[in-house]
Amino acid sequence: MCATIPRVIRIKFYPVIFPTPEEYTVLFLSLKVGLLCVVISLPFAVLLGWVLARKNFRGKLILDGLCHLPLVLPPVVVGYLLLLLLGRRGFLGQILNDWFGLQIAFTWRGAVLAAAVVGFPLMLRAVRLAIESVDPRLERAARTLGANPLRAFFSITLRLAAPGVLVGSLLAFARSLGEFGATITFVSNIAGETRTLPLAIFTYINQPDGEAAAARLVLLSIILSLGALIASEAIARKMKN
Amino acid sequence: MLTLCVHRQLAEFTLQIDVTCTYPVTAIFGPSGCGKTTLLNLISGLMRPDSGQISIDDTILFHAEKGIDLPPEKRRIGHVFQDDLLFPHLTVRQNLLYGYQFLAPSERKFHPDAIIDLLELNTLLNRLPNLLSGGERQRVALGRAILTSPRLLIMDEPLTALDQELKDRIMPYLRHIRTDLGIPMLYVSHAIGEILQLTGQVIVLNRGRVLAHGDFFSIAHQPKILPLLEAHGFENVLPVEVIAPNRVQYNNQILHIPPCDRRPGTHIFIGIRANDIILCRQRPAGLSIRNALSGQVLDIVETHGRRLVYIDVGKRLAAEVTPEAIVELALKIGDPVICLIKTHAIRIGPDVS
Repeated sequence: MCATIPRVIRIKFYPVIFPTPEEYTVLFLSLKVGLLCVVISLPFAVLLGWVLARKNFRGKLILDGLCHLPLVLPPVVVGYLLLLLLGRRGFLGQILNDWFGLQIAFTWRGAVLAAAVVGFPLMLRAVRLAIESVDPRLERAARTLGANPLRAFFSITLRLAAPGVLVGSLLAFARSLGEFGATITFVSNIAGETRTLPLAIFTYINQPDGEAAAARLVLLSIILSLGALIASEAIARKMKN
Repeated sequence: MLTLCVHRQLAEFTLQIDVTCTYPVTAIFGPSGCGKTTLLNLISGLMRPDSGQISIDDTILFHAEKGIDLPPEKRRIGHVFQDDLLFPHLTVRQNLLYGYQFLAPSERKFHPDAIIDLLELNTLLNRLPNLLSGGERQRVALGRAILTSPRLLIMDEPLTALDQELKDRIMPYLRHIRTDLGIPMLYVSHAIGEILQLTGQVIVLNRGRVLAHGDFFSIAHQPKILPLLEAHGFENVLPVEVIAPNRVQYNNQILHIPPCDRRPGTHIFIGIRANDIILCRQRPAGLSIRNALSGQVLDIVETHGRRLVYIDVGKRLAAEVTPEAIVELALKIGDPVICLIKTHAIRIGPDVS
């Protein structure tokens, strides 16, 4: 009897729409990776965004190009380059492993790094545009009023650029949720360690009875990504008023 | 006392200035692009001179040879910009207190409430700058700079962006600051009328050089200064004696002026623009204009496409007239003429010191 009902419909009527504990692990890992990727990218994005927005120097174009490279490179290439650099035999990977006992490749830390590298151009772009839109003379005015350079930057420029910084962060977060190619190349697909939402979906689809689980995770992905995008838009609007 | 001896290469010319500015108010006058704004930026530390030194009283702000270059936040110079540059995300109160908060309590010379009262900002405190009018914004910018208890207040054409009515409303506040707060001021403007309401001490700047320095009324007629003044709406300046709140006496002739707060007996300067003077042959009857000075034509010249007639009324007065009018009146050197001046065309300047 069952065999006559098409598979698609069986998925639809699958009795459990709530994720299993295993799938929750996937969700929380994805959230952890996404949040940490934003946290570690943010200082660099603000620094580089400021440099690119305010400074003129030789090689600015090259720096700009390098920063945007992950946006246009195939993620697999990014993942492979990370592996070359930070793998056990990689130049940096060896140092980190020998000196600090820290392993990046094939761990959740590597997943964070892969997501951060791939999402960085999106964040940088938003931050840079936001800083560029702040009148540099305001910071100069703050200096004449007694603020030191750092104080003037944080209380005036960065504060005025905050909506853009936030939008950039949410974009990077949303991008990290979708990160697949660089992650699977750099840190593989290890359940509970590096198996984020897209990797889990990919895994379930390839399993004989994985459709239901895949469908649930797809739904979660859509909700999360849409939520991040709507939140970024809403916050940007609110902060502009 | 502000001592300046600076050199800085700019795109179009070299700024080379060696002057001493005395208190309480010195004005820097010059056409647009003469280096005024650059000079102020050098003083407040936003730009670096190529060489030279800047000191204020006994404090060296910049000294190329000794390697001294105080950053802007250590200079204690109140800089009021042409565009007020209020912080758009802060309320008026937060803007006013922005610099104040960096001062140690012992360094605070003014109480915020006193400055808020002086500049009449009470009703605006919780507003954001984008909801303020141009005049209000400039008053907030002024208050913000004053509250940093500056050694010197430098103002870069603070009134240029405002219309005449607003200028007239802000000017009394500036005079208050000069007289009541005792903050020395360096006031930059290309409008001599504005300057004369504050001070007679002027530094004339052109293409990065000081052309003249000193009392305006003794330098205004120098041949190298005059063309500059003429190119920027020449102002005739007369020393007069106040005899009533709205009347002054000049060489036994009475002039009606807009009401002013000076006591009778005070000697003040008044300013009249060249194109606010009407020339006629005979004293006309049935005219609303109250002021008629009689004099003799000294000279008729053409500069920058403008025809100026100089009339001797005890002092040289310039009137701008059209070539047609000169022909019609058949004006010749030595002819007697009457200069008609509307009461409200007369600007009241500083006291004769």
